[in-house]
Amino acid sequence: MNLLHFFWQNHDQIMELTLEHLWLVGISTLLAVLVGIPLGIVSAHWPVWNKPVLGTANIIQTIPSLALFGFLLPVPWLGDRADRLAILALTLYALLPVIRNTYTGIRGVDPAVVEAGRGMGLTDGQLLFHVELPLAVSVILSGVRVAVVVSVGLATIAAAIGAGGLGEFIFRGLAMVNNQLILAGAIPAAVLALSADFGLGWLEKRLRP
Amino acid sequence: MKQDQQVNGCGISKGQRWNAGCVILLSLLLCSCAPSHSNRIVIGSKNFTESLMLGELLAQQIEAHTNAKVERRFYLAGTYICQQAILSGRIDLYPEYTGTALTAILKQKVGSDRAEVYQRVRSEYETRLGLTLGPPLGFNNTFAMEIRGTDARRLGLKTLSQAAAFAPQWRPGFGYEFMERPDGYAGLAAAYGLRFAAPPRIMDLGLLAPALKDHQIDIAAGNATDGLIPVLDLFVLEDDRHYFPPYEAVAVIRQQALQEHPEIAQAMAELRDKISDQEMRQLNYALDGQHRDAKDVAHDFLRSKGLVH
Amino acid sequence: MGTDFTDSPAIEFRDVAYVLPNGQPLLSGLNLKVQRGETLVLLGRSGSGKTTTLKLINRLLAPAGGVVFVNGASTGNGDVIRLRRSIGYVIQEVGLFPHYTVERNIGLVPRVEGWPAPRIQQRVEDLLQMVGLESQIATRYPHQLSGGQRQRVGVARALAADPAILLMDEPFGALDAITRDQLQREFLSLQQRLNKTVVFVTHDLREALRLGSRIALMEAGKLVTVLSPTEFLRSTDPLAAAYVQAFGDRLDSVTNRGAS
Repeated sequence: MNLLHFFWQNHDQIMELTLEHLWLVGISTLLAVLVGIPLGIVSAHWPVWNKPVLGTANIIQTIPSLALFGFLLPVPWLGDRADRLAILALTLYALLPVIRNTYTGIRGVDPAVVEAGRGMGLTDGQLLFHVELPLAVSVILSGVRVAVVVSVGLATIAAAIGAGGLGEFIFRGLAMVNNQLILAGAIPAAVLALSADFGLGWLEKRLRP
Repeated sequence: MKQDQQVNGCGISKGQRWNAGCVILLSLLLCSCAPSHSNRIVIGSKNFTESLMLGELLAQQIEAHTNAKVERRFYLAGTYICQQAILSGRIDLYPEYTGTALTAILKQKVGSDRAEVYQRVRSEYETRLGLTLGPPLGFNNTFAMEIRGTDARRLGLKTLSQAAAFAPQWRPGFGYEFMERPDGYAGLAAAYGLRFAAPPRIMDLGLLAPALKDHQIDIAAGNATDGLIPVLDLFVLEDDRHYFPPYEAVAVIRQQALQEHPEIAQAMAELRDKISDQEMRQLNYALDGQHRDAKDVAHDFLRSKGLVH
Repeated sequence: MGTDFTDSPAIEFRDVAYVLPNGQPLLSGLNLKVQRGETLVLLGRSGSGKTTTLKLINRLLAPAGGVVFVNGASTGNGDVIRLRRSIGYVIQEVGLFPHYTVERNIGLVPRVEGWPAPRIQQRVEDLLQMVGLESQIATRYPHQLSGGQRQRVGVARALAADPAILLMDEPFGALDAITRDQLQREFLSLQQRLNKTVVFVTHDLREALRLGSRIALMEAGKLVTVLSPTEFLRSTDPLAAAYVQAFGDRLDSVTNRGAS
């Protein structure tokens, strides 16, 4: 049976695992954005936080992903459900690009613009929402793009601890020595990553001030 | 003032709002085209031969009883993965062993009474995990102390207690896990007062049977349902002191799946005690030794039991 | 001349000192009064402290000693935001928000202050006219404008909430000579119309003579002297005289100050 036929025959399962994969990536990216952008803003405005915040995120990144999954397994509540664990781990890995790009984006705003804004009597909050964030959004989005693409890849490993997703095809295919099954996981995952990269890249360009 | 320059409060233009709206709409559409779960039954299995065999048997048995589509999600890499999959609803059913459920999942100490272990697992699963246990399938895949058939017949040995007398003349061979587990070698030696001629040779499970046949070892700790046992003329000594914990094969079923598809209960009930130790060995051998297709083997077996036609 | 010398100064520096973040003292013993409606020019070399002095008025910088009074109230008490919104601020780089159209740039503070949209729209139109820009420019973005147009928008933006005080930090310094001349002229006619209190920083004596009702000469963090343009030209103060000599024959006569 050729590959196309295999994909068609199993399209239900492929669709289902793709959605599981999207769920893992989507929730974790969302969490990383909700936590990472504020942290990036804090480290951009109060440089004293810069080292600890970026440093911590950096350290997390250096932990091999499978090892991190393993560390978290015995943790109560987290280890009970593999998808919770995977989402936490994926969120942690997505933090660094988001924080770092938020920091860079905000610091990259023309200081004259910030000075004019402050001199006009904009509060710090108004400056942030009306000026700094809109001007930094393209750079921040670039960080989100990196986070998403990395997450798609890491989520395939999450199947090793039972979180589901396209990685499950890959692991099962390896156990069965079935190339078609492996590709049924690998190809959609690659397509997901490429689409996200392309789509978010397009959005970045459109939002560039 | 140009129309498309109209802007709202936070500096996001109308054009950007449209883009965001399209993205959200698309994502929702994508989510809604997930295959509806309620008219499918998904069966999982672990990634070794016996589990695959059982998975296929369960799948075909259910197929004969339901109109729903039965999907197979086999080769899941281990107990934890299967447990996660069934808890999150990604699979509805998979074959498990009572002893494994008790120790690995419920994290309790296991006793030696088959019925008691089954009941304990069943009630804990129902109350704590929302999972139902099907009836025992009939065999007990626990540890098996194997000796050569020739020796068994020559020395008239049937039980481990009888064999203990000859232990000082024998060289044992065990797998890594058997050596490490507290309910493995250490406990066995204590329970039966075993003293061997030499310390156990530790080797891969797959190599134990050939080593036994070739007289490199005289007694091995294998699995009760090893396919090679009948083929290599090996004899499993009876655990008359009930040292080894029971590992009865059962189906674990999601309660919600049972509610949506009550015919599963009937299908499972028909499988009670249908597979003996010896029959499981034969099924395993058909896959591992004869390399037959699991679907055919399962179909033949169910037909022979009058469960499908 | 249109200047109104009432008793209370619009801005007053009383014994003000400022220390740089690295600990180096910059200003010390600064005493200065800015009268309502006048254009006070802060003239000096780079590093003389003139920009710092300007920024002390809208509290972008805080004094290390002494008090700065705006409209009789110390800048240290009360709401800094309210203070800044009552003062227009124009800088050399302009600092227009690149992601906003001209009208959103000008209308930002009114919007944040809660003005109704029609009022903002009207105000933007009025201001564009006031600074000599066509109303079509309202929907353009800063990067589509020339340097001169940008700075006009900058001034319009500073005037949006109709502040009584205007601070300008070398606003025409980055422009070409012709545009600069044009804007200086327009500044003079605008000032005649609006009568704002203006503090204007420059290092260019010609600009100071042309635009200022008084010139405050600063050097090394100290106020050297405060003179009217006529007095400045005749001054015997060594620094002032040095300035006059440095600018030499490039100085026009004082009367060439446009509408006066």
